[in-house]
Amino acid sequence: MSENHNRLSRYDSSRFRKKFSILLWLISVSLSVLMVRMWYLQIIKGEELRQRSENNRIRIHEIKPLRGALIDSNGVFLAGNQPCFDVTIIPGSNRDIKAVLRTMEGFYREQGLDFYRTEAAEKARSFISVKVAKNISRQELAIVESHSVELPGVAVEVVPVRRYILGEMTAHVLGYVSEISPEELKTDESRTYKQGDRIGKFGIERFLDKYLKGVSGGEHVEVNVSGRRVRVLGKVDPVSGHNAILTLDADLQRVAWEAMEGRAGSAVALDPRDGSVLMMVSKPAFDPNLFNQGIPSSEWERLSKDPGRPLENKAIAGQYPPGSTYKMIVAVAGLEEGVITPDTAFTCSGSLPFGNRVYRCWQKKGHGRVSLHRAVVQSCDVYFYNVARLLGPDTLAKYARKFGLGEPTGIDLLGEKGGLVPTKDWKLRRFKEPWQAGETLSLGIGQGFNLLTPIQLASAYAALGNGGIIYRPKLVKRIETLDRQILKEYEPQIKAKADISDETRELVRSALWGVCNEGGGTGGALRRKEADVAGKTGTAQVVTMKEREQSVAHQFRDHALFVAFAPWDKPEIAIAVVVEHGGHGGSTAGPVARKVIDEYFRKKAAAAAQAKAAQAKAAQAKAKAAEVKTAEAKPDEAPGKPQPEAQSGRTEEDEEESE
Amino acid sequence: MKFDRRLLLNFDWILLMIVVAICGIGILNIYSAGISLTAAKAEPIYVKQFIWFLVGLAFMLVSFGIDYRLINQYSYPIYIFSIALLVVLFLFGEITRGTQRWFVIAGFSFQPSELVKLTLILALSKYFCVQEIEGDYNLRRLWLPAVMVVFPFLLIMKQPDLGTAMVLIITFVSMVLFVGIRLRSLITVVTSGLLLAPVCWMFLKDYQKERIMTFLDPEMDPLGSGYHIIQSIIAVGSGGFLGKGFLKGTQSQLRFLPEHQTDFIFSVFAEEWGFIGGSLLLILFLALILWGLRIAQHSRDLLGTLIAFGITMLLFWEVLINIGMVLGIVPVVGIPLPFLSYGGSSLVVLMTAVGLLMNISVRRYMLQR
Repeated sequence: MSENHNRLSRYDSSRFRKKFSILLWLISVSLSVLMVRMWYLQIIKGEELRQRSENNRIRIHEIKPLRGALIDSNGVFLAGNQPCFDVTIIPGSNRDIKAVLRTMEGFYREQGLDFYRTEAAEKARSFISVKVAKNISRQELAIVESHSVELPGVAVEVVPVRRYILGEMTAHVLGYVSEISPEELKTDESRTYKQGDRIGKFGIERFLDKYLKGVSGGEHVEVNVSGRRVRVLGKVDPVSGHNAILTLDADLQRVAWEAMEGRAGSAVALDPRDGSVLMMVSKPAFDPNLFNQGIPSSEWERLSKDPGRPLENKAIAGQYPPGSTYKMIVAVAGLEEGVITPDTAFTCSGSLPFGNRVYRCWQKKGHGRVSLHRAVVQSCDVYFYNVARLLGPDTLAKYARKFGLGEPTGIDLLGEKGGLVPTKDWKLRRFKEPWQAGETLSLGIGQGFNLLTPIQLASAYAALGNGGIIYRPKLVKRIETLDRQILKEYEPQIKAKADISDETRELVRSALWGVCNEGGGTGGALRRKEADVAGKTGTAQVVTMKEREQSVAHQFRDHALFVAFAPWDKPEIAIAVVVEHGGHGGSTAGPVARKVIDEYFRKKAAAAAQAKAAQAKAAQAKAKAAEVKTAEAKPDEAPGKPQPEAQSGRTEEDEEESE
Repeated sequence: MKFDRRLLLNFDWILLMIVVAICGIGILNIYSAGISLTAAKAEPIYVKQFIWFLVGLAFMLVSFGIDYRLINQYSYPIYIFSIALLVVLFLFGEITRGTQRWFVIAGFSFQPSELVKLTLILALSKYFCVQEIEGDYNLRRLWLPAVMVVFPFLLIMKQPDLGTAMVLIITFVSMVLFVGIRLRSLITVVTSGLLLAPVCWMFLKDYQKERIMTFLDPEMDPLGSGYHIIQSIIAVGSGGFLGKGFLKGTQSQLRFLPEHQTDFIFSVFAEEWGFIGGSLLLILFLALILWGLRIAQHSRDLLGTLIAFGITMLLFWEVLINIGMVLGIVPVVGIPLPFLSYGGSSLVVLMTAVGLLMNISVRRYMLQR
């Protein structure tokens, strides 16, 4: 305080006097400027502005951007936009909406149509445009347009609607878009979205939403009494979303879908060279086009309660016991750990007594004395019971993990499941019970606690085929702007390496080749004349945990599996097929895989032939050009040969043109 | 603290009357503005605003009662506390409507940046008292106050709340010019600022550049601020001389004007009460500001002068920028109109500030011994 008093005694506010008087003027003048401006607006322009306020129909009209297209690896459109018509109404101060809607309903009746109004139509409030009908037909459009005079405030709006060309076939992998939910609006990622915006909810649509969605534009428009626009005062064009070029192939997608007609399950194909997802199908599916305009709640209810789980992408979220497809892992583990050699043989008499139980082979009469190669080819269960027994569950789990099993592959889709690779510790934690030796035997043939997703299986087999590289599956090749500038390129991502010896890999790979191409092999369905497929059948038992512990007898309603890659020595495609309740793998899942692989090589051959033809055509054209040239240069000489060095350059150009 | 009879004897009744009059107009106006907004079940916003007004009165009483020289001893801690709130908000605040400005406590939201406006004035006043010198300040003595303003400035820009951030800078500049800055220092600051601006511009993100460009030229954004301006001008102008009458402003009642209960509240008032009402309100503001200047001028110590000056300048700039924006002569920037815009934080903080003005006003007599 004393310090303050000292200050006080010598404080002299007069040193600020000049500044205060300047301020006094400054403040008075600036507030006077406000007053003058108010005078100008209210008195001088008052009448004019009052008129404008009475006729004020200036409003903002949002223009939604076009969502980017999803395009397959060959340039085929998988998802695009299609115009659709909505009816909106702008209620006026002296206008009875209910009456207008009744009039409209009357016009509909005259044409024998029902008028479906949205819920929002009932709650319409003054001066805010509401949608009263969505996605109307051409006939309905004609009604509304021809009666525009009798329907004041009613307008037709053209809105782009998402269209999935393959419909159900790509439902799970592409996903769908629909209006953003209040919960989603609250999250941090959706800060750039607002109510009424559409957002990718599932699949690639969700993963790539930020690239696809574009930026809204808008118009600042003046409308007349009936809500029709008189003039545009300002406009900001929307910016369309970017296009995404996917790794998927529309033809493979279709072939797989059709091959699984009437079945439930999934199929997924990868390119072992870079992890690209070539095909991904899940059945039963839903029609993604239904979701565009808001799916009726009854339909949603039906889909979400369907026991066939149509909303689940089974290729990544369906968890199945791998059955005999797991023998690939068991074989690799056995060889690597040295518990077997290629020559180690076991005798199969159709069953193996172990403890107080009998573990049966699917072949009741037995396989006789078999070593690794034949055991894989004929899928001998007894052989693998023996190998599994020698390895134990934890060593098996180690090799399963090496191949990326039992954990999500990291594909950019929501809802991927990790599956389950059991160990002794896991069982103790989960069931508070020690591991039983018999359970190890079950593991040998892919039964027991094992649960894997189709994409994990495809990825593991791809890794066996490509020399041990486990890629993170990729769905997107690149993002392109509308004028085809590349915005972002998705490089292959190596997730892990399954480090096993070349020797082991060759042994198992040739055994898998035998499955499809040797006599007595279970994968005969995949025997192409090129003999280029390697794969493994599988039959997964669908029984409860408890039942499974009691018996390994084959049950009805088994899931059929087939996993394969081709060409066997330099794979370009790896595929996993699961047909739920399909019985034996070789007979139901095999043909699906076969059709997809056939289609893949058919397309490849066709493309090569086309390229060759284009090359030939280019050569011909070149020859002709050269002919003309030489004829011009030396008219007396005979027509010359085409110039070979110029050929290659032209060919590339031609190829591009033909695409 | 013992009650001093002189607090009542020399009480600044004029200041109280002006502020209560402005607040009264404010609540009445919020009542009108809120009618078209309030859902059937929810509590009308004017009730909330009235509760905030009562809270403001309580804070006013406190800031009036405690000797400002005593408050001054805690100016730095108070300032640091308010900055800490900003930091906490920055780190943990929930993002609503794309910005991060509020704490929500029991249904009432609180905006720390409003508080910082006042605590900054207190902290700066203290600094210039402690560092009091003869003549003008040079840059060596001004770097600390600069830090005091730049730190919250950056946090508030990040929210993003360009308006509030600008008010902080303008208030700071006003106070520095008032205490005096050497001509050479001023020239250095201005030229280096001009030189640095293009460099900073390069570091801004595209959307930030866009925001600044639209601020300078609202026509670039005909759907956002451009729309606001046109609708606001129509609202004000259509009020004419006498106004359309209470609750009869079509522009705002029919919701042509977005945000009309906050930043564009003056257009609601001018539409319904016309030139007569608008002028009356402007005169009340003028009276308040000039009265604040008078208090600053007649304070018996430098501290009182500086605090009163800072508060008065804060009021002046907010009134000038907000009404200027509503009348279409200042670019659109989110600054509330003191005592009228809907929002508790601004109202309570400003009423607390008015309490400080009364505090300084009444104690000039008590210091005359």
